[in-house]
Amino acid sequence: MKILLLFFLATFVAFSQTVEYHVDKSASNVVKFISDAPIENFEGVTSNIDGYLIHRSNDVTATSSLYFEVDLRTLDTGIGLRNRQMRDDYLHTDKFPMAKFTGRIVSASEAGVGHNVTVRGVMDIHGVKKPMEITGSLAPSGSRLRLRSSFEVKLGDHDIEIPRFMFLKIDETMKLELDYYLIKVKG
Amino acid sequence: MSVAPSIRVCVVTIAVCVLYASVSAQDDVSSWRRSDAVELPPLELFHSTQAVNLPTATTLQRKNFEFEISHRFIPTIKDGSGSLWGFDGPVNIRLALGYAFSDAGIVTLGRSNVQDNIDFNIKHRLFAFRNDVIPLLLAVRAGAAMNTEVHGRDTWDGDNAQWYAQCIVNAMYGKRFAIGLTPSYLWNAYILHPETQYSFTLGLNAQYYITRVFNVLLEWNPTISGWRTAHNPVSFGIELETGGHFFKIILTNSDLVNPSQFLAGASNSFNDGDWHIGFNITRLLVF
Repeated sequence: MKILLLFFLATFVAFSQTVEYHVDKSASNVVKFISDAPIENFEGVTSNIDGYLIHRSNDVTATSSLYFEVDLRTLDTGIGLRNRQMRDDYLHTDKFPMAKFTGRIVSASEAGVGHNVTVRGVMDIHGVKKPMEITGSLAPSGSRLRLRSSFEVKLGDHDIEIPRFMFLKIDETMKLELDYYLIKVKG
Repeated sequence: MSVAPSIRVCVVTIAVCVLYASVSAQDDVSSWRRSDAVELPPLELFHSTQAVNLPTATTLQRKNFEFEISHRFIPTIKDGSGSLWGFDGPVNIRLALGYAFSDAGIVTLGRSNVQDNIDFNIKHRLFAFRNDVIPLLLAVRAGAAMNTEVHGRDTWDGDNAQWYAQCIVNAMYGKRFAIGLTPSYLWNAYILHPETQYSFTLGLNAQYYITRVFNVLLEWNPTISGWRTAHNPVSFGIELETGGHFFKIILTNSDLVNPSQFLAGASNSFNDGDWHIGFNITRLLVF
């Protein structure tokens, strides 16, 4: 009987492989930074997101690891001058070109064909790391996995100063929207 | 005798767990690597599309418009308080509207009240040399102008037509200091001359960005060969940069604003202090 249990355990381990996904850079990935200041609303948009997701094949929360990075140099607000001001005066992209998030999926619940997930980790923007919990959805999309998430980032948490005498009106709280695709590379 | 099998089970279980842990530890390391094939936004040096009268290699984002209104007050500051140092006027005006047909190119239609000069030009960025020390931009601008109100001539008299071509080389040192070199060729520089004149000038401009909002600028356009109206134009002043505006307040010995008129030279001498007060305002329009 015990031998049988052991056999099941061994089988379980053998079949519970690590699955690894990488961001499919050929997909139509979209990252939006939305600023909703009283006078001026704008969105910075880029498709330059990259990263990976790892978890056990039978459980998205088991030994999971989620990483993504967004190239802030490529944020496009539709106005060249405003892009430059964002890069040079707020985000200092010459020193900190990437917004990076490292975390793991701490909980998942079935939602249709996919999962609603909660990811706990660390957001690194402007060279300042901040623990964060973000929620989103993971759903199969053809052969790929689509990750969607929306969360808020406080600029002050990342030492991004908003100079008082500045004509680009920017909200202290930026809303980030991620919508990107992952493609399986292992498992 | 029943102890031995349970010990064996325990040992095997532990072994399996250790194996599991070591395998999963290895699996947690991602094979992902950052790819460096990111297409960066276009290189930009000078913040504004123009110095004082000379163009810069800076262009706008595709589909953006730029409206310009520039004034040069005809009385000089030497005329003193009686003419409010020039502000009483009269004044030479340029109105212009530019449209960015791509991220690299702008077409601009402008008009000056000096001989009702109508000006059309196209500017295009050709080459960007990115590096950490002195990034460079190269652009060209070509334009045609028609002086539609010249005493004793028909509105569209062929002798009133002018054209010009400029090669714009811009460089930036750090984030604050930008310089430009703009060799320019002007055909029919003096429209009243019985023989067609040309001017070849070597424009130089520099700008120092003190803050994001405030900077100082300097421009000099010496004539190297060909026609020159008495003196080389020199301008200096300040620029205020806001969200979508550039506001330049300058002192200059040239009271001309359209390119085909400015490139021919200035009537006043800079050294005599016969300086005109002037301003340029550009407004970015995004629809």
